[in-house]
Formats: sequence, structure tokens, C-alpha cells
Amino acid sequence: MKSIWENYNTEAAYDELMQSEYQPRAISYHLCQYLNSLKKSDIDKRKTAAELAIMEMGITFTVYTDEGNIDRAWPFDIIPRIIAASEWKIIEKGLKQRLTALNCFIADVYDEQAFIKDGKIPDHIINSSKNFRKECIGIKPRFNAWANICGTDLVRDKDGVMYVLEDNLRVPSGVSYMLENRVITKRVFPELLQDINILPIDNYPTQLHEMLCSIAPENGMTKIAVLTPGIYNSAYFEHAYLAQQMGAQLVEGCDLVVNDDNCVYMRTIEGLEKLDVIYRRIDDDFLDPEVFRKDSILGVPGLMRAWKAGNIALANAPGAGVADDKVVYAYVPEMIRYYLNEEPILPNVPTYLCSDDDDLEYVLNNLAELVVKPANESGGYGMLVGPHATNKEVIAFREIIKQNPRNYIAQPTLAISTAPTLCKDKLEPRHIDLRPFILQGERTFVTAGGLTRVALKKGSLVVNSSQGGGSKDTWIIDMEGI
Amino acid sequence: MLSRSAERLYWLARYLERTENIARLVNVHMNLLLDLPKGIEMNWQQLLKINSSEELFFTSYNQASERNVVRFLITDSNYSSSLFSSLSYARENIRTTRDLLPDEAWEHVNEMYLYAKNNLDSVNSRRQRVLFLREIIEGCQRFTGLLSGYMNHSRPYRFIRLGRNIERADMTSRILDLASLLLSESRSEEVKQYETSLWLNILKSLNALLIYRQQVHNRISGNQVLNLLLFNDNLPRAIYCCINEITDCITRLPRHEATVEQIKYLEAYLKTIDTQSTTQQQLREILDTLQNKIGQVHIQIADTWFLIQDQHSAENT
Repeated sequence: MKSIWENYNTEAAYDELMQSEYQPRAISYHLCQYLNSLKKSDIDKRKTAAELAIMEMGITFTVYTDEGNIDRAWPFDIIPRIIAASEWKIIEKGLKQRLTALNCFIADVYDEQAFIKDGKIPDHIINSSKNFRKECIGIKPRFNAWANICGTDLVRDKDGVMYVLEDNLRVPSGVSYMLENRVITKRVFPELLQDINILPIDNYPTQLHEMLCSIAPENGMTKIAVLTPGIYNSAYFEHAYLAQQMGAQLVEGCDLVVNDDNCVYMRTIEGLEKLDVIYRRIDDDFLDPEVFRKDSILGVPGLMRAWKAGNIALANAPGAGVADDKVVYAYVPEMIRYYLNEEPILPNVPTYLCSDDDDLEYVLNNLAELVVKPANESGGYGMLVGPHATNKEVIAFREIIKQNPRNYIAQPTLAISTAPTLCKDKLEPRHIDLRPFILQGERTFVTAGGLTRVALKKGSLVVNSSQGGGSKDTWIIDMEGI
Repeated sequence: MLSRSAERLYWLARYLERTENIARLVNVHMNLLLDLPKGIEMNWQQLLKINSSEELFFTSYNQASERNVVRFLITDSNYSSSLFSSLSYARENIRTTRDLLPDEAWEHVNEMYLYAKNNLDSVNSRRQRVLFLREIIEGCQRFTGLLSGYMNHSRPYRFIRLGRNIERADMTSRILDLASLLLSESRSEEVKQYETSLWLNILKSLNALLIYRQQVHNRISGNQVLNLLLFNDNLPRAIYCCINEITDCITRLPRHEATVEQIKYLEAYLKTIDTQSTTQQQLREILDTLQNKIGQVHIQIADTWFLIQDQHSAENT
């Protein structure tokens, strides 16, 4: 009988579970032993069970097409990704440090702008950022926490070092999939989970609820709503899931009204009901047609008035996206030193800013080796992966960069780490990243692990679900407990 | 409970009830046609008339043939009250209220929608049309049963019952309208000979034949059928029974005073109807008024509990 590990190649990148073809790492020893004890048909059965669970639980993400079927089942790989608790402790500390510095920076940008005045960042970078909202100047959210919910993408390079790839501070998604992945794993590998000391993750909704309560304008009974753009948004499943888990109301813009008293109310069958906190999953642009895009029908007219008057807390705060800009990203290590007087725990990926003439020249001359990303896009759209692009694509992209250098950054193509993924009849290495979620209100909280996304296509480095990515359960294992 | 959710559940129920009723309406018409002897002129245009959709029909079709009318009423997605449009709207409404309903509810409506979508062409043949309509009617019935057994009978459920009964009362009055129309048109003199057959089919289409036999005992007469379908308080599709259901839902909802007033007007009007002394023509006018009054109740429901798109706050800027 052929082993499912046959020809497992760990040469191309750092593999999270395997040291070599047949040699597991210490953290994955137990898992590999278990997998080896299963027949191939047993593994297939578990894979089918996972697929069934996903269908039954209705875990979907939405792709909008004209033809009815817009909910797609969430692609899930049953082989978990494992990180040692000892390593995770450091990462967790690094993530808290990073978000704290980012929030100091955002508060500063909308206040004194000391970071700019002290010459740490050129002012044109802030002023030209499309996520800098001058309407937010002078506002003071509670605890200086502008970005309350952050999804930070981490990748491990060939050298084994975890790098921060980007900070998602606008409306990061994926946490519901992280939670559901664990539920599925519990169903599929119940015996395995019993024997291994895995940190639990299911306290996230409680932590989210607590954080949202902490930022409410007044203490006491806090009425919370999750504001969704509606059914056609790709993350609608998550919006509904989180609202349900927190016992919050799921609302659309048309459910809310801002009255002359500058308070926000829900329209209910009993009449108007006052809200204290909105976890909004709508971009700034669409939030309030009085202030931002006039044509927005997703938002709530007057919401910014109510927020400025201090009658409603918005998470994340409008304008927080100013730090979610791939150019500003390059300055985060400096922010940590400047605001916290600490050395960054988690390193950035070296970044070339096309707005800088020297960097631009380097980028244009080395496009074929670099990954180029637009400064303000998410979801893996509009980027160039140099080594995987055709010559024609590289030439075309060169022109695009030249037209708007401020809008692009470039990074060396990392050999991001792999993990064994169940392919047709055996395990194959596939590239993965990790998105932990960090909450910051009165206190700071980091999920134990996060959402591991996997590029299911062989050799692909793009993990986004909208681009054919899948996901894995992520285990933080306490080795001392074994 | 959000006003939007209340509104969507209400419309979900109305659209599903409408889906079922269009199926029943086409069914009764078709059965009637089969019962009548060959050579009697049987007009499909009457189905358009009672739905007040003649004008719209003739913008896309030249002739009110069986094929065209059936296509229009069942499959035409340009006609917003067609069976398929109603089912599609029901599906859209349930998609956005899944958090308030049992999971099976969405799956069921979705399956029904996919069945309809994949079998739209089958309505062209009479034989297959019968099967199609039966599947739709049964699907709607299963949905009602599923909710009754699975769902918490709280406010969301009340809005569903409310929508269903408003639509049902409206459609029963339209089906009675169809009967009066058939009987009042002078050129259908011959049809009158088959009046019993007509009323029998009407009773069948509203699942009322059994109760008629049990309660009325008599041979089937127009007056008695009308009395049963207007005033019976146990027969689910009788208008009085629908009004009782509506009243029951409304009085258990907050801020119901104005709507209760409105339903009292409707009930009072219903009670004034004397089937004995009205001609078919008068009856048509009475049913028309009845439909208007049901419409008034709907408007009051919407005013009280649903989203009012007030432009007030937007105009302030």
C-alpha cells in the first residue's frame, strides 16, 4: 500500500508539519502518527464527513452571479496546521504590540500629527491616502482604540521566521470560518482532539461582545447591532453568524435612523429603539451618505453626526483605515519604536515604496522577482506575482505602476511556508498564511491561532477565498501539557 | 423585532400563498374546462380579468389563448404576480430572514424554486401542467406544516400567519369573483346549465367540498357555496375564518389598535353581504369592495409595523 506521504516534498519552502518526507516536526508527531494509523479509505470518509458538515451547517461564502446559485460551500482541508504554544506566546505579544502602536498612530493622525511633524513619515503619504478621512480630525474614541478589530496576515519565510504581511484594519473577515473550522475538526477527528492539548478558540464571540460593550458611550445595558451591507456581500454569512453568536441584532442601513437628537435608532415593530454600539461591516465610503459617498444606499444618513456627538460607538472607527495602507505599513516598525519605545517583536516584510524614486527604479528593474500590490486593495485583487507572471503581464504592470506610483508597493517574493494538504490520493505541500484576529477596546485580546488560509492550487501563493483559496483548522499546541 | 424582518416575513408568506393560489386558480379553470361538454366556449381571459391584469397581458401577447394565459400566469417573469415571480420573491424574502426561521424552511423554499425553474416548460402541456401545479400546491402546504411544527409561535410566526391570511382572503374573493363572472356574462348562457359543475370545482379548489357535504347536506347551490366560503369560521379558506386568524395575530402584536379598527370595518362589511338577494353583477361589485377593504387592512399593517421610507432625515442636510 502506498503511503499518503509518498514523495512529500519539503524542499521548496519551510513546511509547518514536516521536517522531511517522512520526518514530522515535534509539534506534529502525534498528528502524523494518527494519520498513519488510518487507512486511505478512512481518511476519505473523514473528508466526506467534513464536506457534509459544511453543507449542513451552511458555511458559505458568497459569489454574486446572475444565476441564482450565489452561495458557495467553504473549501476546507481536514489536515490541521499546528503552531507550538511557546512560539505563539511571542507572536501574540507581537500582535498586541503592533495593534497598540497602530492605534496610537491613528489617534495621532487625527490629532496632533506628531509622527509627521517629527519627520517619521512624509505628510504626502497621509494626505494622499484615500483612507485618510479629514472628517475624523478631533474625534476621540474611547481608549484611543480606533481599530477595534484587526486581522493581521502572517507568513513564514524559508528561514522559519514569521513576518507580518499586512494589517487589515477596515472590515477584516474570516473569523467565523476560523470558529467553524474547529467545529468541523471536532466532528471529524474527535479521538485526536481528546489526546492533544489544543488551546480553545470558541471564546471569540464573548470577547468580541465584551470589547464592543467596553467602547459603548455609556455604561449599563448596551444595545449592539452588526451592520451588514446585506445578503449580496461575500461575508454575509459571517455577519449573520457573529450577530447570532453575540445575541446582537443584524441590521442593514435601512433599519437605522439618526434623529434630530443625533442618536441612532433601530426601526422595530415596537417603534424606535436606541442603539449604543455598531459593529459595522460596511466600508467608510458607504457608511454615511451625508458625509461620504452620496449615492450610498447601504449606509445610514447622519451616522457620522451621531458618532461625532459621542452618542454611538462605531467599530472600527471611521478613518481607522488610514493605517491599513500598504505604504503606511512600511512605517509600522518605526511607529512601535516611536509610540511605545519598544523594538518590534514581529518583523515586517522588506517593502519598496514606489512613491520613493530610488525604490521605484529598483522595483521597475526587478519586477520579475517581486510581488507588487496596490496600496489600498484587499482580497488579492490587482496584484502582480513577478515569478509567476508572463513577460507580457510584467510589461503591462510596469506601465500601470508608472501611472500611479503612490498606489503601489513591492516586496521580495517570499517562499511562504507550506503544510500537508489532502489532494486526490495523497498529501501534498500547499502554501499557507495565517490571519489571527486582535480585539482592542478597554483590553486587548488575540485569538489562539487564527484562520489558516491555503492556496489549493499547486504552487500558487494566493490564498484568498475569492481567488480559489481554502482554509485549515489552526492548532496552538501546548507541548508542555503532553 | 426589526420592522424590516417583520415586513419580509409577511411578504414571504403572501408570496408563497399567492404562488399556491395561482396554481389553484389555473387548476380550477382547467378542471372546469374539462367538465364542460365540447363546444362550449370557455374563456381564458376571465383569469386575467379577476387578477386585473388584462392590460399588462396584451402588451406582450396578442391573443388570450390557453397557452398564452397559462404562460403569463405561471411562468412569465415580467409579470410580477405570476406564479414563478411570486415564488422567486418568496425565495428572496426568506434568504434575508434565515436567522428567524428554521434551516429547513430555506432549504424547502429553495428546492421548490429550483423545481419550478427547471420545469417551467412543462406547463405547456395540460397533462404535465397538472403535475406541476400539484407539486407546487403540495410544496406550499408542506412549508406551512413545517413552520407550524418547527417554528416558535412568537412574533415572527405571527407576521407569517398574517401575510398568509391576508393573501388568502384576497384570493378566495377573486375565485368567487371568477364564478360570478362566468355566470354573469350573457354569452355564457350555456355555462349556466353547468352551474353545479362550476360550484363543485370552486369548492374543490378551495378544499371545501368535504366540509360543504358535512355541513350543508344539500345538493350544491351557488348561494350555499357563497355562504360557506364567505361566512364559515372553521374553513381555512373562508373569508370570515381568515379575518379571525388576522384578528388573532394582530391583537398579539404591539401597537395594534388602529389595525384592529380597520379589521373591524372589514368584518362589519362582510356581515352585511346578503347572498340571497344579490344578482351576480351586484356580487361582483361587492367582492370588489371586499378586496379594497382587505387592501386597507394591508395598508394599516404596513403603516404600523413595517419600514416607512421616511425621507425626513435625508432631507435635513
